Amino acid sequence: MSAPLRVGNCSGFYGDRISAMREMLEGGPLDVLTGDYLAELTMLILGRDTMKDPSLGYARTHLRQLEDCLGLAAERGVRIVSNAGGLNPAGLADRVREVAAGLGLDVAVAHVEGDDLRPLALFDGALTANAYLGAAGIARALDAGAQVVVTGRVTDASLVVGPAWHHHGWDATAYDALAGAVVAGHVIECGTQATGGNFSGFRSLDLSRPLGFPIAEVAADGSSVVTKHDGTGGAVTLDTVTAQLVYEIQSTRYLGPDVTVDLDSVRLAEHGPDRVAISGVRGEAAPERLKVCVNELGGFRNQVEFVLTGLDVDDKAAWVRAQLDPQLTARDVEWSQVVAPPPDATSEEAASVLLRCTVRDPEAGPVGRAFTGPAVELALASYPGFTMTTPPQQPTPYGVYRPELVDRDLVHQVVVHHDGRREEVA
Amino acid sequence: MRTPLGTFVHARSGDKGGDANVGLWVAHDGSPAYDARVAWLLDLVTPDAVRTLLPEAADLDVEVHRLPGLGAVNVVAHGLLGQGVAASSRFDPQAKGLGEFLRSRHVEIPEELL
Repeated sequence: MSAPLRVGNCSGFYGDRISAMREMLEGGPLDVLTGDYLAELTMLILGRDTMKDPSLGYARTHLRQLEDCLGLAAERGVRIVSNAGGLNPAGLADRVREVAAGLGLDVAVAHVEGDDLRPLALFDGALTANAYLGAAGIARALDAGAQVVVTGRVTDASLVVGPAWHHHGWDATAYDALAGAVVAGHVIECGTQATGGNFSGFRSLDLSRPLGFPIAEVAADGSSVVTKHDGTGGAVTLDTVTAQLVYEIQSTRYLGPDVTVDLDSVRLAEHGPDRVAISGVRGEAAPERLKVCVNELGGFRNQVEFVLTGLDVDDKAAWVRAQLDPQLTARDVEWSQVVAPPPDATSEEAASVLLRCTVRDPEAGPVGRAFTGPAVELALASYPGFTMTTPPQQPTPYGVYRPELVDRDLVHQVVVHHDGRREEVA
Repeated sequence: MRTPLGTFVHARSGDKGGDANVGLWVAHDGSPAYDARVAWLLDLVTPDAVRTLLPEAADLDVEVHRLPGLGAVNVVAHGLLGQGVAASSRFDPQAKGLGEFLRSRHVEIPEELL
């Protein structure tokens, strides 16, 4: 039986700690280092990048990390797997090859594509439409010897499942093992959220150092141990792991492209300091259809926040609202509710509440100066103590995300191996 | 007695499009009352109880999924975030603080669990 595979994570979102890749490579032994860069909103941001420049559309911070760390990874024999390709995995793979060449390194770079469904034009108004692919493409790329694999929209957990699938040589119907790897992947996909970040029990942790990024040691039966490098901050405990398990799920069945996981079958046990074992995970065949992340441009938005201090905040809010409302031409105008501050508060800030006005419109005009101008003009002409939290802002475009489903036959997951060979996988 | 839910319950929350999602679970703090606390939490957290603790969800479709093996429940409040993170005018458009808000709400907790 193959030994457990030690898979680290160095990114939970596009914008996560840039030094994490180096920290994970230098901090201790690893077989594979993974990074998740894609949230629903990120796909929209990358979609807007490609509108400006079609050669972009990937997570540029990942490329910067590789410029710094590719030599170190090659030297230590650590393979790197990420979804940083975003809307342009082929483009990112080319950039990584350029980085490797520039560093004088011979590194095998593969990418996975086929998630981008825009060419099918299935979804009205979609700026981006990406099927959530599974882990098979990553596994086949590693089978063929890739040292760096970049993908577009695969499920976050696939970044861990793919390497484990490759290493342990599972069949596609080894549902329990795959489900175990999905759970391991789900726990570490959000980086330091598995080691004490965003954790309501934070007061019991070592907060004296930056939180370490997580590691999953995935065994041949799909069971795993979650841990982190020695000497890093935070902790791996039953509670930090549970926090990640119960987050972002939508029922007790966790649906994925390769396997459906029964989350209530998960059993956790502490195996020494900063080591939590995950076992008992059961899986079954995945749904017939794949989930799709669709983003469309919704329009433009803007907001102002009025500070209301002290007495009579309801009447103050009502007055400024009555002054501003009739002047606004935006399609949607929303006002927040104000709750009176505590009586006799001992600081001005504690005695103040915010009244927020948010506007949205298909066009930028009605939420630009047409909105902020009338708000600013009230400065000397409205409630006593009138002030706002920021100067007037420019309109910002916003997207609207929606989940959709697509038949598997319409999606062609393709691995482009490091030697240029194209292989379609199920 | 009436005391914050977060006295021995942890939480993590987030967004999926326009839906908010909160996991609540009993802390592994070594208390001998762990099993009793889990039973209490699983009883307490119903869709109606969520609508009471979270008044802005009063008119929303709320689902509660029980995960007894993890001593946890998962709550999905459909539509709490409107059209999703980029469009929402909500104060916390990704519901990142929603779990901490729920932990701060006072509930009736039997003395023997404290």
